[in-house]
Parts: sequence; C-alpha cells; structure tokens
Amino acid sequence: MSADEKNQRGPWYLLFGLAIGLGLGLLISWVIAPVTYTDTAPISLQAQFKDEYRLMIARAYQANGDLGRAQSRLALLGDPDPGAALVAQADRLLAAGDPDDSAAVLLALAEALGEAVVYPTAADTSTPTAAAAALPGGRPTPTRRPTPTPTAVSSPTPRPTPTPTPTPGARFAVIVREEICDPTLPPGLLQIEVQNAARQPIPGMEIIITWPGGQERLFTGLKPELGNGYADFRMAPGVSYAVRLLPDSVPAASDLRAPACTAADGSSFTGGLRLLLRQP
Amino acid sequence: MDRWIKFLLVIAVGLALGLVYGWVISPVEYVDTTPETLRADYRSDYVLMVAEVYHREGDLDLAARRLALLGSQPPVQIAAAALDYGLSAGYPPLDIALLQELATDLQTWQPDSGGGQP
Repeated sequence: MSADEKNQRGPWYLLFGLAIGLGLGLLISWVIAPVTYTDTAPISLQAQFKDEYRLMIARAYQANGDLGRAQSRLALLGDPDPGAALVAQADRLLAAGDPDDSAAVLLALAEALGEAVVYPTAADTSTPTAAAAALPGGRPTPTRRPTPTPTAVSSPTPRPTPTPTPTPGARFAVIVREEICDPTLPPGLLQIEVQNAARQPIPGMEIIITWPGGQERLFTGLKPELGNGYADFRMAPGVSYAVRLLPDSVPAASDLRAPACTAADGSSFTGGLRLLLRQP
Repeated sequence: MDRWIKFLLVIAVGLALGLVYGWVISPVEYVDTTPETLRADYRSDYVLMVAEVYHREGDLDLAARRLALLGSQPPVQIAAAALDYGLSAGYPPLDIALLQELATDLQTWQPDSGGGQP
C-alpha cells in the first residue's frame, strides 16, 4: 500500500476504532456487568410485592397499634395517597374473594389514617357494587364514602391527630451539626432529625444522601422510639456526604464526614454526626 | 506503527466512553424489583413486621411463608440475619425481643409441620 493510499484513508480508521471501543464499553456495561441493584428500596418493588408489603404493614399495625410506625412504613412505598392505596387494595382483594380476610386489616389501617370507609350493612338497600355481587354470599365491598352534605349537626366521630407536615415552600436549614464521639454507637453513624417550622418532628420525610459515586434514600420515622423525625445512615470513613430533603432541590448540608475520635483508653475509632434540620 | 497506536488509543477512549454511558449516564434500571433485592434495613423491618404479627397470632407456618417473600433462604436464616442487623443497628429492646422470639421459634420449625412449638 502506498503512502498516498494511506493518506486517502484519512481518519476513518480512528472512527472505526472509537466505534469498536464504544461497542465494547456498552457490551460490558449493559450486558456483561450491568449496574446491579442489590440494595433497593420498597418504592421500587413490583406492584404485587408492594401489595404484599402494604398488607404486612397493615397486619403489623393490627398487632402493635403503632400508627406512627405504620405511617412511616407506608411512606416507603411511595403511594401518593397511602390511605387510598389501602382502600384500593382492599377493593381488589374483595373482588378476588379475599380468602384470608385481609381486606378488613387493610381497611382498619385506612380508617386509622383518616380514610373514610363505608361498610354497607344488610339493611343497606343501595345497589351492590360489581365486586360485592361477585362475592360468595354477597359480601359487601367497602367503598370510599361520598362527600357528605354539610349539616348543622357536627359529627361525633373522633378524628386522628393530624400528622406534622413540612411547612410549604420553606427550605430546610441546619440548626445543629455536631460530631458524636460515642464508642457505643455504630461507627460513622449519621443521625438526622427533621422538624417543621413549629419544631414538630416530621415522619415520612424523604432524605437523599449523596456521595461521590452514589446516593441513598432514607425516610424519617422508621425508628419512632428515637423520634418521628429521625433517620440515620452509616457513613464510610473518609467519604464526603451531602444531605438533601425532598422536595428541596439543593442539599441542606454538605461535606459531611465521619470524624476520627479518640477513646478514653487512647485508641481511635470512627465517630458519627448529628444533624438537626428545621424549616425556618 | 503510529497508526496502530492511534487505533488502539481510540478503542480505549471508546471503551471508556461506553462504560461511562452504560454505568453512569444511562445504567440499566430496575424499576420492578423483588423483595430479595431489598436493602438490609428494609429487609429487617419487613422481618420485624412478621415478628410483630407472629407474636400476636402465634402461627409459625404463616410467619415462615411471609418470610419466604424475602427469598429462597431458609426462614430461620432470614430471621437470624434480621436479628443480627437489629442488634448492630441499635433496634430497641422490644423489637429485638420480637425478632429473637421469631428466630428462636423458627429454629425448631419444619415445613408443613404445623409449627415447631410443642
């Protein structure tokens, strides 16, 4: 091959090489060694597993009566309206025959959350729903109560205490940021407490923790014994983390690192951090 | 020779670009995951729910079936792993006791035995 022929080829061989490299890279990253999700959250579960998880939450609530914990657990599933999701699942179960009477468990939790649920009685002469008609024995299907017409008589039905919610529009700010050197705590423990402007702990807040090359999602209130606004995370030594609370678009705290601590006997260990985040 | 070096160099560049695209920019996404892939704290919380219900109902077969949602491991291993996690994560004593009860009872449980308790 003459030098002229080589020059006529131009840079095509480079593009060819780039294409080969790209192809190999995509083959490796998408087929041979794709990103694997081994540490997923309940929000990413298939619908059927979400139903199983939701039912388990309702059963646990039936067992322990801890509404705060049930709310925090429901928040993990990411339903826009957890009460409505419970009612919808109960409807589906009843339509399918509800062999293990799970619908009642779901509806009990829905009611505790303030969801209005109607159980038609035998004396109810209204037309049965399709689901009820399909059930053995014509078991009634609970439906969401239609919006009641306001009357002069107030309803004696006790309502649940409202759950504290974030103050709309206000960004969270760091009120307390302190290093915790307690050898009895797990190393690198990042303890986060979230409060609204009224200094009430907020359960079910979604927290995004990011670090170079990764991120993690937490929810407050999963350990109600430590506070409804509490969540924690294990930091690796030497890694810088940032904490963002949804729906805020910017981190409330950044450059968070597990401190190096010294024990009473002179030995060193990895400490933790405590963050108190509050809306102004 | 110079052309070969350039050729190999652009392959390496392409490989790097492909890996960045496939692993960082547009990684394979799993939106419909199974409970087996849940992170340890979520798995432990699910096991805790099972333990809470088991404490109330006392139905070990049912508890084992509920734990099977978390994978094909023996239920006793799933419960033991949750107990270990609960201890390391500082679960309150009441939750630890519930997990301990479930894990202990499952040690004597046999499938379809009607429960391992005398």
